[in-house]
Amino acid sequence: MMEKREKATEQRVESAHLKKEAADLRGSEDRSAEREYSVAIRLRRGERAAAQELVDMYYERIYSFMRGVGHGQQISEDLTQETFLKAWAHIGQLRNGRALGGWLYRIAGNVSRVYWRKQKNRKFASMERIEKAANGETEPEKVGHYEELVRLQEAIAQLPWKLRNAIVLHYMQHLTIVEAAEAAGVREGTFKSRLNRALQILRKQVS
Amino acid sequence: MEEKVEKLLSELAERVGQPVRQGLAEDIKSLIPSRIIPHTMDTINIIIDLRVNKWAAAAAIVITLILLTSLLGGAGSAGDNIYRDGELLMKYVFGWDGASKSEMLAVKSKYECLIQEGIEAVYFGDKADLNDADAVLLQWKLPDGRYEVILGDLHRETVTAEELIKLQVQMLQNRISR
Repeated sequence: MMEKREKATEQRVESAHLKKEAADLRGSEDRSAEREYSVAIRLRRGERAAAQELVDMYYERIYSFMRGVGHGQQISEDLTQETFLKAWAHIGQLRNGRALGGWLYRIAGNVSRVYWRKQKNRKFASMERIEKAANGETEPEKVGHYEELVRLQEAIAQLPWKLRNAIVLHYMQHLTIVEAAEAAGVREGTFKSRLNRALQILRKQVS
Repeated sequence: MEEKVEKLLSELAERVGQPVRQGLAEDIKSLIPSRIIPHTMDTINIIIDLRVNKWAAAAAIVITLILLTSLLGGAGSAGDNIYRDGELLMKYVFGWDGASKSEMLAVKSKYECLIQEGIEAVYFGDKADLNDADAVLLQWKLPDGRYEVILGDLHRETVTAEELIKLQVQMLQNRISR
């Protein structure tokens, strides 16, 4: 009887804890969305401080996106700068303040694509070296798994631009399908179809 | 297998370290223009949002350019916006691979707007090498003594007089070497 009561109390505590965590998460998402909205509104008014805030919020993500789609370190830095320059120049085109992130990724995508088109000899910079995990895998398992990851990394670099963009946005930048579709500038269905095609190609390459 | 690939992708994203150089944020912030002027005409955005066929979009923007330039006489900020929309559309539709005649039309209409506003502008478009991304297509002087230039890749930049001279020298050297 006593045990049952203790178990019930434990479950209540755990459930309350989970609810609090979920509320905190929702709260932090709301705050982040509110901040984005506020930055977008202030940018549209031409506030310089908002432009600085935009850089702080997104420069790492945009740089990482550029690296993800296969640009080298220096080029990624340059293209990140260009992305922000374009954002400031065309801030009037951001009609929905709540879609600031997607809009910025869309500019980054266009900047990256324009760069690839300008390159006569397209050469993909390899992504950063994959760090070997120090977990409980045995040596042959580790090696096999590591090789799979390297093959996958190379296969991503060989994907056509649109498919690579889809993979990077959804799996590397962790955007939801809706956000990633907005960032790619396509409808949700189109984005899903690109993602499927990319996954099919990657599956063949990895297997 | 698909699940496996998805799992591997998630792991790849976690394992691939992409450290950002310290100071990059400051470098970007140093480029923030002193005045951020919202650009309000949304022709290009409307076309992108509609996701229409790119050739139809190209035709639409060329017609818009011609109509608005003739209706508004390219006056004031409207002319500037038309130019910017034209530039964006060309990049959206064609990517960029050297300036073409259509893009030069947009630059020339900008030049005509500036002249009508009484601003001293120089247009090099007729002589410029369209494959040279750094070629100066159009330049005009700003009230603060610096120059605004539109380069061969339709990139717009504000430069000092010294920088402008360097650009022009470079342009000449490129033309000579070809």
